[in-house]
Amino acid sequence: MIRKLVMALLCSIGVTQVYGQAKTVSGTILNERSEGIPYVKVLVKNTSKPVLSDAKGLFQIPVNNPDSAILVLTAMGYEKLEYPLAGKTNVTILLTSITQDTKDIVVIGYGSAKTKELTGATSKVKGEDIEKMNMTRMDQALQGQVSGVTISSNSGSPGGSSNIRIRGLSTFGDNDPLILVDGVVYDSEGLNALNPADIKSINVLKDATAGIYGVRAANGVIIVETKNGSVNRKPSIEYNGYYGMQQTARRLDLLTAEEYAVIKNEAFAFGGQAMPFGNTNLGTGTNWQDSVFSNAPVQSHNLSLNGGTLNTRYSIGLGYFNQDGIVGGDKANFGRYNARMNFSTDMSDKLKLNSVLLFSSDMRSTLPENGIGSVLYNTINAFPNEPVYSGPNTFSYMEEVSDIINPIAQIQNQYNWSTANKFVGKEEFIYEFNENLSLTNRFNYNYANVEAKVFSPLVWYGDGKYANTAANAELESPQVEIADSVFIDRGAAVYEERSTFLDLTYEAFLNYDKTFGENHKVKGTLGASVFKRDGSSLSGVAYGIPNNSIAYADISANTAQGGFLNNTNSWEFTERLVSGFFRGEYAFKEKYMVSGILRRDGSSKFGPNSRYGIFPTISGAWLISDEDFFKSKSIDYLKLRMSYGVSGNDQIPNFAYRALLNGEGVYVFNDLITQGIAIGRPANPDLKWETTRQFNVGIDLTWLKVLNFSTNYFVKNTFDLLFQPDVSAIIGSYGPGGYPPIINAGDVSNKGWEFEVAYKSDVKNLLQTNLSFNFTSINNQVVSVPTGVEYIPGASFSVGGDVATRFQAGYEIGYFFGYQTAGIFQTQEEIDNATVVQEGAQPGDLIFVDQNGDGKINFSDDSDKTYLGSAIPDFTMGFAFNFKIKSFDLSGNVYSAIGQEIIRNYERQQPYANQLAYVIDRWTGPGSTNEHPRLTTGATNNNLFSDYYVEDGSFVRLRNVQFGYTLPKNAAKKIHVETLRVYVAANNILTLTRYMGFDPDLGSSNVLSAGVDYGMYPQARSIMSGIQIKF
Amino acid sequence: MKKLIFTLAILATIIMLPSCEKFLSVDPPYAQDAENFFQTPEDYERALVGAYDLLQSSFLTLWIGEIASDNAIAGGESVNDSKGLHDIDNMTHGGVNVELRNVLRWNYTGITRANYILEHKDNIDFPRKAHILAEAKFLRAYYYFELVKFFGDVPLIIDKRIGIEEARTIPRSPKAEVYAQIEADLIAAAAVLNPVAAQKGRATRGAAKALLGKVYLYQNKFTEAAAIFDEIIDSGQYSLYPDYSQLFSVAAENNPETIFDVEYTGAEGGSYGCLICLEGNAAVGFQGIRQYNGPVYGDGNSYNLPTPELYAAFSPIDPRRAATVLDIEAFIAAQPNPVQITYAIGAGGHTGYYNNKYIKKQGEIGLPDNDLTSPVNYRVLRYADVLLMAAEAHYQLGNPSRATALVNQIRQRAGIPGASVNNIEKVYNERRLELSGEGLRFFDLVRTGQAAQYIPGFVVGKHEVFPIPQVEIDLAGGNWSQNPGY
Repeated sequence: MIRKLVMALLCSIGVTQVYGQAKTVSGTILNERSEGIPYVKVLVKNTSKPVLSDAKGLFQIPVNNPDSAILVLTAMGYEKLEYPLAGKTNVTILLTSITQDTKDIVVIGYGSAKTKELTGATSKVKGEDIEKMNMTRMDQALQGQVSGVTISSNSGSPGGSSNIRIRGLSTFGDNDPLILVDGVVYDSEGLNALNPADIKSINVLKDATAGIYGVRAANGVIIVETKNGSVNRKPSIEYNGYYGMQQTARRLDLLTAEEYAVIKNEAFAFGGQAMPFGNTNLGTGTNWQDSVFSNAPVQSHNLSLNGGTLNTRYSIGLGYFNQDGIVGGDKANFGRYNARMNFSTDMSDKLKLNSVLLFSSDMRSTLPENGIGSVLYNTINAFPNEPVYSGPNTFSYMEEVSDIINPIAQIQNQYNWSTANKFVGKEEFIYEFNENLSLTNRFNYNYANVEAKVFSPLVWYGDGKYANTAANAELESPQVEIADSVFIDRGAAVYEERSTFLDLTYEAFLNYDKTFGENHKVKGTLGASVFKRDGSSLSGVAYGIPNNSIAYADISANTAQGGFLNNTNSWEFTERLVSGFFRGEYAFKEKYMVSGILRRDGSSKFGPNSRYGIFPTISGAWLISDEDFFKSKSIDYLKLRMSYGVSGNDQIPNFAYRALLNGEGVYVFNDLITQGIAIGRPANPDLKWETTRQFNVGIDLTWLKVLNFSTNYFVKNTFDLLFQPDVSAIIGSYGPGGYPPIINAGDVSNKGWEFEVAYKSDVKNLLQTNLSFNFTSINNQVVSVPTGVEYIPGASFSVGGDVATRFQAGYEIGYFFGYQTAGIFQTQEEIDNATVVQEGAQPGDLIFVDQNGDGKINFSDDSDKTYLGSAIPDFTMGFAFNFKIKSFDLSGNVYSAIGQEIIRNYERQQPYANQLAYVIDRWTGPGSTNEHPRLTTGATNNNLFSDYYVEDGSFVRLRNVQFGYTLPKNAAKKIHVETLRVYVAANNILTLTRYMGFDPDLGSSNVLSAGVDYGMYPQARSIMSGIQIKF
Repeated sequence: MKKLIFTLAILATIIMLPSCEKFLSVDPPYAQDAENFFQTPEDYERALVGAYDLLQSSFLTLWIGEIASDNAIAGGESVNDSKGLHDIDNMTHGGVNVELRNVLRWNYTGITRANYILEHKDNIDFPRKAHILAEAKFLRAYYYFELVKFFGDVPLIIDKRIGIEEARTIPRSPKAEVYAQIEADLIAAAAVLNPVAAQKGRATRGAAKALLGKVYLYQNKFTEAAAIFDEIIDSGQYSLYPDYSQLFSVAAENNPETIFDVEYTGAEGGSYGCLICLEGNAAVGFQGIRQYNGPVYGDGNSYNLPTPELYAAFSPIDPRRAATVLDIEAFIAAQPNPVQITYAIGAGGHTGYYNNKYIKKQGEIGLPDNDLTSPVNYRVLRYADVLLMAAEAHYQLGNPSRATALVNQIRQRAGIPGASVNNIEKVYNERRLELSGEGLRFFDLVRTGQAAQYIPGFVVGKHEVFPIPQVEIDLAGGNWSQNPGY
């Protein structure tokens, strides 16, 4: 009642004033796009009665004294403005919008912070920098963008994944960081579903402050946010699309038919066998690479709608992407549809809703790649003297070998595709008790339905080929004896699989933020999280597909006699994670900051003995440039940061702590396969997460307002590695379907240094320049391996060959181990007089180095083998440039990895296999060469794994360059668009490397196979043209 | 008030949730746990199938037993193709050898699976239990005998499974103790096992006895050996199959000469990634003719190639020569269209000869990859072996006439004139002629002390047993000493 009275009183005073002396000031409030802004609160300074602008941004307000009055304009989504009227009574006022993507805000997990407040090592990439790369996947686009994050490609095929490694390899098993898209966990495979055009920002938590994610944070955390709308904005529609052609960036220099014949004759002669080619005058012959590589289109189209009213923001996106492979065309295709909706609304003054829904449907078809028997492996090894086709409808067979098949035939016979339909979403309710305290409740879901189909027609690649599924060249079905003298046709087969995965997460947390007095700022986060993941799969294989035809490639069409050979399979799993977390931050005078994190996780991955873990982190920062004593004129900003903390890694198979009867126990009784059981993996009830302790010290510095430096030094030690090391044979775990137990053993250390510098020219310059450079150097070392284990063997060299990579204390993870060479034996005399006995050596053979000094080369043990390099780069660098002058812009991105080695493992050591042209420089007699050994089909130790097969894998790559033209504003207006930009772009156009293989950017999700090249599917070079239109 | 309730509710959630043990205690869906198995007779039966499975690792015994001897060379694509076999071929094998490590690993897996059953022998009672336990004991004895043949002293683990820690504490038991356990298991098994297998492939009384006799013979326990072989012979259950040349065909499986086979089938495809996972006999495809394109045979990987010395050991009139050793050039020359028949020579070695007992033949080809899925059974114990072992035991016990009679049964079946066994060498030689290519030769040479005489590079006091892979010594806590000389 009293309040009403007061109001009435105030109103009457106001009315008196208005009708007493005031003039009416009218005006229009416009945004950057010259659109009227509605709902702007307009107030004369030091008065209390505001007015609101209308839908066109028009307002009228009575002003007592227009000469001296100041209008205060506030609006959601726009910067507050104080506008001196200076006597005018009709004004047009421009408000600047607050972009959501304010570069100052960094997402740090269950909250955000201003850059100034940060105590941890984080890096941020803007969505536009990702989108500009025109890459299929987010991880590809992230390569070279930030320091401390090393990305290598697993495959250049469409939809192929990359390895993201934050601050090096820290474990034997899963090194993937935790990737959260709007709070939803995405794994590497799942990244295919994410449209890079939907990304607003990527924040990378590199140091121990990632520990807010506890048991999953040891490999770092990548937080992706999708685009959202802006308050109080008219809807804007944007189209962004490009079309391009791809081709292979490189062809290997292989022997021509004539060279091949000459060299094979020589090799056979050396091996004491008859020369296979009577006539070596065969010309160039078949260039298999020309037949296998083709030009392939790529296209992307994205449409988005963004806007908002006073209470609501929305962003809607639609995307389509399609890419054919440079090998195999549509047999190696990736396609994707995306639909996205981000919707936020203020349900009341205090309750806000953020809702995100991402739908994707992607399809991928694949060819065998990066392994023995892959298409490119066959392409490299195929005989140049044989044509692709031996008859009108017959492929050539290359009958001299069983394990090299015609790669063109192989592509044609390949039907292998999968689709993934995925719904990802978030419903987030934020209740603001007051300006200091809010409660967030959110519910995330991630539902994926993955379907796969493989059709295996009856095929014939020639006599004795390993890949034959037919009985003969007439494509007759092989017969299978299912019981005594009972034979049935096997026929063409189809395999189908349907899997579903569902993640559900519920999270609730309180955020508190208050400044006490002037100097004491306190922030706190306290919350809990419950996570559940379930998956199941049903698959089947059926034989006897009619007509050997893809048209009937479905289990429903099978004609398998009695269904005897058909088979089904299924699996199911579940995993859970329950967590509580707390983060407290305190800042004194905004100069001294300290932050502490404590997280407790309970994970169903581990047994009752060690199910719960506690992960603490402490960090602090000192803003030196704000100190009174700091008087530098050139340094505008200087901050010192430090952090130390503990995080975990739980990425092991479910139920690894207990012994299950999931081994294979199958035997044949009465000539029938009889299923039994066997223990798969022995139990380890004490299994627990691996622990990473990380220390980080960093400096951020701004120089002359245009140069930003940031540098970090870190020491990251990982203990109790989740290992599946070799165990003693007597434990009995090495049977069919059996595995060694997973144990906690071994330590790894990563020490490194990161550096980022960015230059941004003054906005007043005619030439707008943005330059950024980052540098990462990591020293990786295995500190210890499980007791009794000298090393963990990795990839093997050649077919059935020696172990070439190892995980061993004192060395980098997956270092290469083999013989060191010292040139070529030129003469028998040299062999006879050598101080080291090398058994079996002949002139022209590689000279091996006697590492253990016992006077002979030991071929039956490892005593003369040594370190030959590793796949881990000494340092990686990224460089990005962006120039803009008037309507033209030019941008680009360079990535470089230096100091890593690659094992050349795509040459089949078969007498008839084609070879790289370097063999032309082989040893042919004394003095001919000291580099390349003689060629022979006979027994030789030259084929043992040695540094002869190890190459420098360093490279510098111009990954992307884009040249664009933006229509000037006036011209754009005439055609009723806000902005119109056209561009041409090229990806992967230039690579500087000494590596002979297809692509030096070569990774593997298995840390012990990294750097082993089996003829990997290379990344394409593409030329694209694109258009961006905004209405 | 509302705020307070809200805050309290969320705080309660935070405190309660992490201790939500029930939420985290999930069992693997629809999966059987190793610790609460053996509840039904069916459980025992299925675990027993798992214990039989490791018999299919026999291809390694077949290879190493031949390649280590004077019978065969390693062969293959290159000298690095199964390098361990090449090392063994050259008698340069050491502590790093993939194949030897697999012998150790796979046989211990078989032992562990048999022990897993015997560990739970008292859970429930049912009529067939005794027989199941007897089969498990037979299998355990079989696997231990393999190990003791290869490595001499080996850790003896009985009726239990062991963990990583315990594995570091178990010493190598003296050979004699291992043999004692093998004998005990086989005697116990022979008392229970059916004389005739209920299903083709099951262990029988005859199998247990024949293996026991062989175990005696390996220890030079001639009296015990002769006695048990005589039991088998006197039972009249077994006889020699008339056609030696067909003895190793799929069609002739389970004939009266068969005492115990390792069973294989071609009905399941396979890949090189896991040879122990195969249900087919890998030896047969691997021993096939490289890139062969012609009649009768299939193509293979040219492993385990007979030596010219073995070929020459046969009398030209002995039909067993052609049945044992394939002379590829002679074979091709005898075909109707020899020029159309092609094959390749592997860089791992070439002798011109192939193992004609276990070789990929048309009509005996499994599913893809058919180098790996041969249905041809590995003949572990056949009656001819028993007769020759009996002859050896009786000769050693001073009964050459009995030995002569036994040996001449073998010669008669082969279709060659009889001979008088007036020298133990004659029994040994007959063993070679009858049993070459079956993986027995190296162990026979060692057992009879003739290895140094026949195998170039063989060092007495060293090569009688293979080295324990160094990595296994390390993994076992470093307490085992390496075999002498390695």
